[in-house]
Amino acid sequence: MSWFIGIDIGSAYSKGVIIKDFELVASHIIISGANYRTSAEVIRAELIRQVNLSQDDIANTVATGAGADNVYFASHKASDIVCTARGINNAFPQARTVIDVASQSTRVIRLSGEGKVANFTVSEKCAGGSGRFIEVIANVLRIDLSDFGPLAARSRSPITFSTGCAVFGESEAITRVSEGVSKEDIAAGVNKALASKISSLVKKVKLEEPCAICGGGALNTSLVKTVQDELNAHLLVPPHPQIIAALGAAIIAAAPVT
Amino acid sequence: MYFAGVDIGSTMTKVVLIDKADNLLSTVKGPTGPEHRQLANAVMQQALEQAGLQIDDISYIVATGYGRLNVPFADRQITELSCHARGVFSLFPNVRTAIDIGGQDAKCMRIDNGRLTTFVMNDKCAAGTGRFLEVTAAALGIRLEDMGDISSKATKKIQISNLCTIFAQQEVVALLSRGENLENIVAGLHDALASRVAALARRLGIEPDLVLTGGVANNTGMVKAMKESLGCEIFVPEEPLLTGALGAAILAKETYLKAVAEGDALPTKSRRLEKATFFSQEQR
Repeated sequence: MSWFIGIDIGSAYSKGVIIKDFELVASHIIISGANYRTSAEVIRAELIRQVNLSQDDIANTVATGAGADNVYFASHKASDIVCTARGINNAFPQARTVIDVASQSTRVIRLSGEGKVANFTVSEKCAGGSGRFIEVIANVLRIDLSDFGPLAARSRSPITFSTGCAVFGESEAITRVSEGVSKEDIAAGVNKALASKISSLVKKVKLEEPCAICGGGALNTSLVKTVQDELNAHLLVPPHPQIIAALGAAIIAAAPVT
Repeated sequence: MYFAGVDIGSTMTKVVLIDKADNLLSTVKGPTGPEHRQLANAVMQQALEQAGLQIDDISYIVATGYGRLNVPFADRQITELSCHARGVFSLFPNVRTAIDIGGQDAKCMRIDNGRLTTFVMNDKCAAGTGRFLEVTAAALGIRLEDMGDISSKATKKIQISNLCTIFAQQEVVALLSRGENLENIVAGLHDALASRVAALARRLGIEPDLVLTGGVANNTGMVKAMKESLGCEIFVPEEPLLTGALGAAILAKETYLKAVAEGDALPTKSRRLEKATFFSQEQR
């Protein structure tokens, strides 16, 4: 049996992957919702369906993320830092730094070879430093998260937020909307504010290139570009940036860290 | 001889009219908001009507608060810190420490003989301001003004583990759906905010008497939580929202009387109640 599952139950989204011979063969993402246990079951069922397997074909499952405890069928739990490091190492073996922009926090991890964690830092427990800031402002602008990057990319003069707080930023965005400032300029302004927080986190652990970016925030192409400009470094973006921690969990399931 | 103080806060706009002996002639409170583009006029007009006065009867007008530049008929602008200190001192002559918790910031002031000596403030993070309670009350489906009464029925305080207002908003909803009791959650929210403001105040060093003002001081649950966090007696004015406007009115009187005594000419603005603009681009 050579099929392994990794499941990452995050505060906003739950992600799962199946790997075989360290290659990704199936993945699935759902909104975490109120019942993480159910989310974990739904993900497993869908993954197994995608590759025409039965539960008995899965050799091992590892869980990670804020809701890892709810994945009752997993043999182990692993920290999201370790899983993200292992996952990014699989996608980009040359990467020495990874930025993970998630809904609840932003993490910057320095990697040694083989995807081992050399050092890491996590944003303070503040929505202003996480992807949540973007979610809050997207809600004010009444736009889909998936449209956020392309919209911000069209901005000619991004606004400068006077605050780093997502709550005060929400009021500020509302005021700017009422003043007739374009959605593009407001969206680009949020990306700028978040990028500056991300870049100061990166500076804490000292950037070593190549650097990768993952997590839901990496889907916001304009944010990625703004962070690149701030850091003056090229960022590697995996094809499915949201599933990196789940991928790392599956790799740990296949080859447990000893 | 009459004087006015106008305090344009982020959440509420306040006007106080006094006479030469500091007697309150009228007080008006109204919500501030981007749509209230003529609010300074409207609240002033209302205050004048209540007192039975005309705008020309007012000898000197001081504006304060975050929107103080948007009061076209004000003769002078003075920061809210100085106005709060003066207002609190007029009500509590023994005050040494004043804490003002508003909808957008929290300020801790040390006062010596009515004068502001030092201060610290938080306007960076909503979690240390009244906004924390506004946002979480909305998430819980309760009115801000009911929070004090609700928390008085608490049997324990539930610790709120998230510092950030946005994450706390999620957390309280999750706590409620997990079957925790609303009263205990609200008591936990008061405790969370109180401990944050207390930590800010401790940076100054707390000297009695301590006075608590701002809209949050209307919440009896918060006053109790602040007492517990600070471990000292707290005095609250009857109208905790009005101390800034009151201080502005008293400073208006003092400015005017000093100029008269010294024979200085005191320029005053046009007493026409013109259209005011709020949150204008020019302000930034």
